[in-house]
Amino acid sequence: MIYAVAVLAPILGSAIAGLLGRAIGDRAAQAVSILGMVIAAICGNIAFAELTWGGAETGTVDLGTWISAGPFHVAWALRYDALSAVMVAMVTLISTLIHIYSVGYMGHDAYPTYRFFSYLSLFTFAMLMLVTADNLIQLFFGWEGVGLASYLLIGYWYDKPSACAAAIKAFLVNRIADLFFAVGIALVFFVFGSVEFPAIFAAVGQHAGETYTLFGTAWPVLEVIGVLLFIGAMGKSAQIGLHTWLPDAMEGPTPVSALIHAATMVTAGVFLVARMSPLLEFAPTAKALIVIVGGSTALFAATVGCTQNDIKRVIAYSTCSQLGYMFIAAGVGAYQVSIFHLITHAFFKALLFLGAGSVIHAMSGEQDMRQMGGIWKKIPATYVVMWIGNLALAGIPFFAGYYSKDAILEANFDVGTGVGLYGFVCGVAAAFLTAFYSWRLLIMTFHGKPRAEAKIMAHVHESPAVMLVPLIVLAIGAVFSGMGFHAQFIGEGWHEFWRNAIVNAPSNHVLADLERVPESIALLPTFMGVLGIALAYVMYVAAPSLPGALTRAFGPIYRFLLNKWYFDELYDAVLVRPAMALARSLWQVGDATLIDGVPNGLASLATDSSAQVVKLQTGSIAIYAFSMLIGLVLLVTIYLLFR
Amino acid sequence: MIATAAFYVFAAVLLGSAALVVSARNPVHSVLFLILAFFNAAGLFLLAGAEFLAMILVIVYVGAVAVLFLFVVMMLDIDFTRMREGIQRYAPVGATVGVILLVELASVFGSWQLLPQSASLRGAVAPGAVSNTAALGDLLYTHNVLLFQLAGLVLLVAMIGAIVLTLRARKASRRQDISRQVAQRVEDTLVLVKVGLGAAVTEAEFQRPLPEPAVAAAEPHGGGHGHGGTHAAEVR
Amino acid sequence: MNWTLALPEIALAVSGMAILLFGVLRKEESGFLASMLAIGALLLAGVLMTATGAGHAYDGQFVVDPFSVALKLLILAGAILGVALSVDYNRAEGIGRFEFPVLIVMATVGMMVMVSAANLMTLYLGLELQSLSIYVLAAFARENLRSAEAGLKYFVLGALASGLLLYGMTLVYGFTGTMDFARIATGLADPMQVSAGLIVGVVFILAGLAFKISAVPFHMWTPDVYEGAPTPVTAFLSTAPKVAAMGLLLRVMIGPFGHLLAQWQGLVVLVSIASMLLGALGAIGQRNIKRLMAYSSIGHMGYALIGLAAGTVSGVRGVLVYLAVYIFMSAGAFAVILAMRRGGRAVEGIADLAGLGRSDPALAMLMSVFMFSMAGIPPLSGFFGKLYVFLAAVQSGMWTLAIIGVLTSVVGAYYYVRIIKVMYFDAGETGFAVRPATLSIVAAGSGLVTLLFALFAAPVVAMAEAAARALLG
Repeated sequence: MIYAVAVLAPILGSAIAGLLGRAIGDRAAQAVSILGMVIAAICGNIAFAELTWGGAETGTVDLGTWISAGPFHVAWALRYDALSAVMVAMVTLISTLIHIYSVGYMGHDAYPTYRFFSYLSLFTFAMLMLVTADNLIQLFFGWEGVGLASYLLIGYWYDKPSACAAAIKAFLVNRIADLFFAVGIALVFFVFGSVEFPAIFAAVGQHAGETYTLFGTAWPVLEVIGVLLFIGAMGKSAQIGLHTWLPDAMEGPTPVSALIHAATMVTAGVFLVARMSPLLEFAPTAKALIVIVGGSTALFAATVGCTQNDIKRVIAYSTCSQLGYMFIAAGVGAYQVSIFHLITHAFFKALLFLGAGSVIHAMSGEQDMRQMGGIWKKIPATYVVMWIGNLALAGIPFFAGYYSKDAILEANFDVGTGVGLYGFVCGVAAAFLTAFYSWRLLIMTFHGKPRAEAKIMAHVHESPAVMLVPLIVLAIGAVFSGMGFHAQFIGEGWHEFWRNAIVNAPSNHVLADLERVPESIALLPTFMGVLGIALAYVMYVAAPSLPGALTRAFGPIYRFLLNKWYFDELYDAVLVRPAMALARSLWQVGDATLIDGVPNGLASLATDSSAQVVKLQTGSIAIYAFSMLIGLVLLVTIYLLFR
Repeated sequence: MIATAAFYVFAAVLLGSAALVVSARNPVHSVLFLILAFFNAAGLFLLAGAEFLAMILVIVYVGAVAVLFLFVVMMLDIDFTRMREGIQRYAPVGATVGVILLVELASVFGSWQLLPQSASLRGAVAPGAVSNTAALGDLLYTHNVLLFQLAGLVLLVAMIGAIVLTLRARKASRRQDISRQVAQRVEDTLVLVKVGLGAAVTEAEFQRPLPEPAVAAAEPHGGGHGHGGTHAAEVR
Repeated sequence: MNWTLALPEIALAVSGMAILLFGVLRKEESGFLASMLAIGALLLAGVLMTATGAGHAYDGQFVVDPFSVALKLLILAGAILGVALSVDYNRAEGIGRFEFPVLIVMATVGMMVMVSAANLMTLYLGLELQSLSIYVLAAFARENLRSAEAGLKYFVLGALASGLLLYGMTLVYGFTGTMDFARIATGLADPMQVSAGLIVGVVFILAGLAFKISAVPFHMWTPDVYEGAPTPVTAFLSTAPKVAAMGLLLRVMIGPFGHLLAQWQGLVVLVSIASMLLGALGAIGQRNIKRLMAYSSIGHMGYALIGLAAGTVSGVRGVLVYLAVYIFMSAGAFAVILAMRRGGRAVEGIADLAGLGRSDPALAMLMSVFMFSMAGIPPLSGFFGKLYVFLAAVQSGMWTLAIIGVLTSVVGAYYYVRIIKVMYFDAGETGFAVRPATLSIVAAGSGLVTLLFALFAAPVVAMAEAAARALLG
């Protein structure tokens, strides 16, 4: 079935490129991995189209048994429903474009790039396994595969210490979240006796009121599962508290950043929440937590984004913020809206990252916006696509982001709860800040006087076609994906589009209410967006002295934001340093003296007894025969004595 | 009564000669005592009504194996005094182990009793009306055909092993090849040369024997394989 | 009589004899062709296995059930690997004669009969057929003094073990009046009736079979024979015959003597512990890699015996999974050892591996996989083997066994990892001679199985479970 081809073609490409890359050469490896991705993209999108317009049946594609131990059964199976299919289509498409783009972007790298392409395809494959999983274990397999591939890619330039550190950080932060996720899976198995989605979802209703006693307190079990799974999602989706790895992940090559931010990694958390919708519908507290964390992240990341100077970091915080949007939608039960935003965001965020990559490429590797400016005439195509991306991001009407972001805020408004209102307020404020930092980025990068050295300015050039074509395709997506899919995802067609992929409780009619929001509220995000753009224009074009003055006037606040709310410093002081101190004392006292002492003693004991054992091995047949007989007599004696 | 007496005589001689096999100083004596032991064992089989086994024991073990032993012992110059040193060195350990095992087995056999239902479990019960030969044939070739064939395979492997490990085709050995001898023609061996009267024969004109045919030289194990092959065919 | 149940064995034996005739009649050196024919015959037997049904045949002396089928598949795999490994080595060492594959085929017939035995006599004949072939194989390099010595030692000690086995069988026969497994089992249904003599007989049988799997204290031959025998023979010795003997031990102890579990369990536990300890300790000081593999195999058999000691379905399942995992690790490791040739002759020192990480990264990588797997590091196959036997021990409440098993595998990890250290961190001589394709194929194939076992563990475990259920009824 073409669906399986879509999932498995990337791993084939990855294996060939990675294992045989040195043998078949760099070009061939690139071609193979891109070919694998193109096949995957075609198959994935056909599968999606068949489901959406062709009326294909949902179902699962069985690939075989994986683990079967007592009552614990896990199969390799691909779930084929709207949620998985739309994710497969999006991931394969975006990933293919990024693969193609990478041919140009990595062209100047000193080393052969087959390793890079192999990792990219592996990354994609892991994400596809994640989104097509029919059980939690396979999902976890993809989840960890994504973590591994992100580690490999962020640390791709392994001779750069900062890249290695960022890779380790990404991996560790994700591990912390994964621990909760794993515990959550265990609890699911404990409660439901299965890790298969159909079995879990069918049985959710029966377990609705159950509690689970831990440390003498009875907890509602579905809430606990919901919270544990959400913490897992927080790590992958870089929500506040576990977000610190995401900006650092910019150390990897730019196509990697695009892949992580748009298609293959951070969306995993949102996907998980949407996938577990039947369970979360029974966990109102967990949902409230999702809204609060999502709203806080949206606002927090937007404030930080306003002060960063590294072009990729600005976009990174913007991703963080947009993921917050997706969670506040999911938290009020509008999972469909959340996925809708995920898809539109994938297009414009990939566009923005690849566009930023194009800028960096043009500026000979410079990433600091303060060293840019005045280049819009030299790279017009990049300039145009960056505009499109930012318009979509800011939610300006008729671009992709407008439809999804508006729907999110409307959904939060019309649930009418306090939590929903919190999400709404945070979202509106973040919308204003988003527009502001987007135009700050545009203006600082492209307009004004050139601030770079003359040598670099002389070298500024438009990127090759292999990089521009993906940009143009993504730009088309960033313009039309909102308009095009609005009806199916959240409009009148949503029932037949989603079918049973996402479950809304009977009491949850947030989607139906979307259209009944007051005009003023519906227009508010757009209005805030325009306001943000205006402010950016005032501060960076009309009155360029203003930012400096504000920085001086509000020094502490500015430094607070510039230093990303001191999250890294906080973690360093609270977690890293005490852990290091503890480790050092354990090493010197516990390890060096105690733990090393005992095994060293045991080791010498082992080698001594080894010498004794071997001493008998003289080579004489008579001794061997006697030892056999003595052994036999021993066994008989033992039996006769102890029977 | 006579049967009981015969049993004890056979058993006593059997045990005595077995002890002498181990303890005799002269290896030839050892083999002769071994033959005596075989005969007594055959006698015991006869008493038990297993005449076929008794005869097989005499024919195979006495007629073939023991005689072969005798040849080997006589042909090989084994230094038995040196082997005795080993026996003396290991005697204490061996004696201890042997005594313990003996005591244990004695205690076990002291309380020996058959399984109550063992009579009904017997596999090959002696048939009533059939002659002994027919019963044996039925047992060997019908009921135990698998075992019989497996035993054949074991023998085949033993034969292959003996050939593989010992047969050496010496390059220098000249073997008589009857067919070649018979097929020999005068032209192959004899060349008539006219030599002029009084003419000197130079070095270059010396006639040398024809070289051996190439086939026999190329395959050093050729003869051995043929040997093994024929035996294999016989066993099957 | 349903004689076709033994069709794979019959076909294999007839092909063996045909190869023998072929080798005899063909006047040239025909080791390679004979080896290929032997592999073909073994594959044919494997195909026939799938075609034959299940049940008893030959007066109940021969049984085909899921247990025997699973073991036979492993045996055939081990034999094929053994033949494949031998081809190039034998040619290089000047022992490339056609009798080699013939003997392996005959040994394989013996092993297949062993695991299908339903009668003490079938058991013995299968065992002897296998043993005799291997005695000859061990001495196959007859010009080499150590090989001849190995063959002789194995033969003499093997004869002693056969004697013990036969004596045990006579005791059992004397007590029950039958050699048929099923009848013995019915006769022994009530352990209270059983006299001490019978149990002593069982102990003798256990000792005779423990010799074949080189369990302590019947292991003394192993290091010398492993070291002395030609390396392909050692490779073969450490795979298929171990599977067959362990399978036979399972069948005998669980089948006819299953009701006496409480009586023999303690002894098996003791043998298992002793084997694990000796395997772990003995290997530490070794410099010769074949000797090291000998101790390693002693240890591995100790682990496998844990499953037998448990005596439950999950225990037998654990043993089968362990064996399946073990033959591939072992064959792969020996493929690497066989690739150790320098200056036209084989080298066997662990120190000779030094610098392999640089001179031949692929080979060093594969060896590392095998060593890590033997040490039981997840997610390699060796881990799963240990996991399932330890699991069985814990389920049967045998905590001591499981704990000692874990401790000895920690000690064992030391010498496995030492090999990896030597390969990657010690400065070494120049690389080995170019290795033949067969070795690369066997090493890479076994490496893949070892590495990716986790992915297809489920069907293997399911098959082992079915086999175990067939055995325990």
